[in-house]
Amino acid sequence: MESLHSTSHLVMKTEDTRITQYALGELTGPEREAFENEMATDPALLEEVRQTQMLCESLPTHLETETAFSDDERAALLAKIRSEQMEAQAKKSRAIWSRVVIYGGLAAAACVMVNLSVPAVTSSSHRENRELASSGISDPGYSLAAKPQAAGTPFLLVTATAVPMPLDDSARLESEQSEKQLQADLGTDHTGSSGKLQEELNRQLAAAHASLVAVEASASHTKLNLPTEPTALSIPKQTSALAAAPAAPRGNWKSNDARREGASVASQSVDAPELTMKILGGTGSAFGAEQEADVVSGYRPQKQSDFNTEGYDYQEENRFLNAKENPLSTFSIDVDTASYSNVRRFLQQQNQLPPKGAVRTEELINYFPYTYPQPEGSDPFSVNVEVSKAPWNSAHELVRIGLKGRELAVDKRPASNLVFLIDVSGSMNTPDKLPLLQKSLIELTSRLASKDRVAIVVYAGSSGLVLPSTANKSEIRVALERLNAGGSTNGAEGIKLAYREARENFIEEGNNRVILCTDGDFNVGVTSEQALVDLIEKQRASGIFLSVLGFGTGNLKDSQMEKIADKGNGNYAYIDSIAEGRKVLGEQMGGTLFTIAKDVKIQVEFNPRAVAGYRLIGYENRVLAKEDFNNDKKDAGEIGAGHTVTAFYEVVPAGQPLPDADSVDALKYQTPVSETRNSQSNELLTVKLRYKQPEGDTSKLLQVPVANAVKEWNAASEDFRFAAAVAAFGLKLRGSKSVKDLDWSQIQKLARPNLGEDPGSYRAEFLTLIEKVRRISGENSDR
Amino acid sequence: MSDEEFFTQALARYERPLISYAKCITGDWESAKDAVQETFLRLSRENLKELEPRLAAWLFAVCRTRAIDYRRKVVRFVSPDEGSLEQTPDDQPAPLEQLAQAEDRTKLAELLARLPENQREVVKLKFEAGLSYREISQVTRHSVSNVGFLLHTAIQTLRRQWNPSTQLPTLS
Repeated sequence: MESLHSTSHLVMKTEDTRITQYALGELTGPEREAFENEMATDPALLEEVRQTQMLCESLPTHLETETAFSDDERAALLAKIRSEQMEAQAKKSRAIWSRVVIYGGLAAAACVMVNLSVPAVTSSSHRENRELASSGISDPGYSLAAKPQAAGTPFLLVTATAVPMPLDDSARLESEQSEKQLQADLGTDHTGSSGKLQEELNRQLAAAHASLVAVEASASHTKLNLPTEPTALSIPKQTSALAAAPAAPRGNWKSNDARREGASVASQSVDAPELTMKILGGTGSAFGAEQEADVVSGYRPQKQSDFNTEGYDYQEENRFLNAKENPLSTFSIDVDTASYSNVRRFLQQQNQLPPKGAVRTEELINYFPYTYPQPEGSDPFSVNVEVSKAPWNSAHELVRIGLKGRELAVDKRPASNLVFLIDVSGSMNTPDKLPLLQKSLIELTSRLASKDRVAIVVYAGSSGLVLPSTANKSEIRVALERLNAGGSTNGAEGIKLAYREARENFIEEGNNRVILCTDGDFNVGVTSEQALVDLIEKQRASGIFLSVLGFGTGNLKDSQMEKIADKGNGNYAYIDSIAEGRKVLGEQMGGTLFTIAKDVKIQVEFNPRAVAGYRLIGYENRVLAKEDFNNDKKDAGEIGAGHTVTAFYEVVPAGQPLPDADSVDALKYQTPVSETRNSQSNELLTVKLRYKQPEGDTSKLLQVPVANAVKEWNAASEDFRFAAAVAAFGLKLRGSKSVKDLDWSQIQKLARPNLGEDPGSYRAEFLTLIEKVRRISGENSDR
Repeated sequence: MSDEEFFTQALARYERPLISYAKCITGDWESAKDAVQETFLRLSRENLKELEPRLAAWLFAVCRTRAIDYRRKVVRFVSPDEGSLEQTPDDQPAPLEQLAQAEDRTKLAELLARLPENQREVVKLKFEAGLSYREISQVTRHSVSNVGFLLHTAIQTLRRQWNPSTQLPTLS
């Protein structure tokens, strides 16, 4: 050191490391005392220490610690940490999930609600998922929160994944060991409406030799051993229906006191393929012990309302408006179809009429594809107007406005950057949710091109990036299969993370889309529905579209999900079965994924010479103010490739009285309408449309004048007549007075001759739905 | 405290000093950030409860290894001449006149940059991360007394250069 040679005094001092040590408070005990004594007698040393202290105090403020992670970097890091932890959690998932291993002929997804009473729950954790891993099943990772089943809680939900796998030795050993530890009862007597249940069981469950060999329960690895012969379960042999059953059926046995052999029967050495099942804890305390035995295969008891927390906003139906006073009718298109599948779920699976708020007539109509012609010019969709009689009121006319989005050939599709945002909260723990979701998304993935990318974000108590964006389809598949449910929901955080991931992998001119899969139960972390909607709305500007896929029952926040999709430039579909998953994400994937025009608004101007009044059927929550039509800031619906959008106006021709029109006194200061010369024309109305290109900010206007030429009902197209029947169905389900003269069988008759080619048999299925309504509502079927 | 909170707090507390520390090893901010990211990812696999009492030392020790890894990569391809952490101190400070007009912070940064790497490292660990001699010793694997020596040398060098108006004969 150069100072060494300067002054010996200073050298001595600066060599003394105690100066710094003292200044930094690292000098302690007797050493410190000695040093302080020295300082007291040596002013030079004291000065050195003082200066060193000053420097040490000021140093931290002068160092270059201003560089930190950006908010995005930090969030990404936290997300990675979360998924790391989830992975770690997955290894411990035995402590969270329990598995039921079923041996026998069951070859497909099955789901059984088992009423267990577990008197002694012993723990045998610390086990890795060796047999799972070794058999090619990914371990059931990504459980975010444990939901250990409290001993004595009567219901456990058992879901199954459908991959047969051999039982390896470790598993067998394990099951034998824990068998000794446990006394577990499996009540298997299906009490309650046992006749019906039995029948359901017979039809659905089956796989005769199916026998539960081991049930490893929750945090505790409870094991239940069931006999090979189905005495306890009384599952008949013949059914193979299950193998083909698309969605996992659900069963629920009520525990009777009968202490079955469950625990006492030794585990059988079975070489047959097995099913791994997970016992999920806590399917809701509403399933109280007293509750009647529930169900197989989606059949739910009528007691639903006891625990149903589904949310529906009921919107009163649009009223008839006077064409003179309100010549303009404005609304945003809606391509959602969720309401139809939800209504179907109520009718078919729950055997009850849907709540009125769950019926959105326009979504019922739009559920079906119609054969409108492809657009010819440069516009992304064609506009097809047809006018005929209203089948429920011969004095009224129906005007159908049908849009058809341009089809996109597979090779013309833009590259996709998709982020699956998947709700893995505890409420997703039923076979009609997560497993269905997994299958549906796998279906979608199989249709993606090699240039398309997928990332997966999950959310529950916390959220995490499970799969960074990749184009590797098998990786996507594996990640999907590994998803597992648990924890509560923090939707907002997940949405943020998903949008971020989408932004980071943004494809210019591509299809950038977040696909939110949930039962809509955003119950943690978001302050309010409005906050969530605002959050989504903010993301809209980023050019990323949103699709919302609703799943499941009992918790569906239908209104919220529709709102979210609506605000996020997106669409909303409800998936109640794998068939529906195939429709939405398979056959109609183009429409679901590729937006070809956005903010599509329709404004109809009625000619008061021809029209006394009108009402828009459905679209209650899509009605816009007339000023909104030309306001490009006003968000509206999107149309996807190949999508059809259909809207009906019920028109009261001039000279006819308006139904339910309240009389208004004549105006005192003005004479209302003065007609233009155009009103003399033979025009009924003019349809105006505005739309934007998917990336555009300014709208384009289309105008389609419609002549006042009303076809007879029988001359109307099949599409028209079928859609009108669906409209009537929706109106009637909503309890609209306007269709009170039409009974269900008449609606059926309206629809039946008009099935057309009916690819996918959706229209034929509609007939069965009407039939179901008829039965539920007790309408005499001979009529 | 949930894990989530733990990480958020750990980031809030250590993110900046860690990045700064890593940067003094890697030489650039990007890889410094990467090293810190990896450190936290490593942390997520640890038993947080057990680790908590020695969290700071652990973080900096892991970060150090990561950062050195990064530097090896860079060094191999870019500037093989750059000194390693283990090299002997080079105690020749640069001419101070150049620094006379500099702002405090810039000046200090320059001064720091002129410190031998092992001194710079302990300065950062001491003054940015607030580690004790013992913790610094755990991170750097220098003995505690060696840490004391390095810190002392660095501080006194800085003091001389930082405030040339003081009565140090060589500078006045």
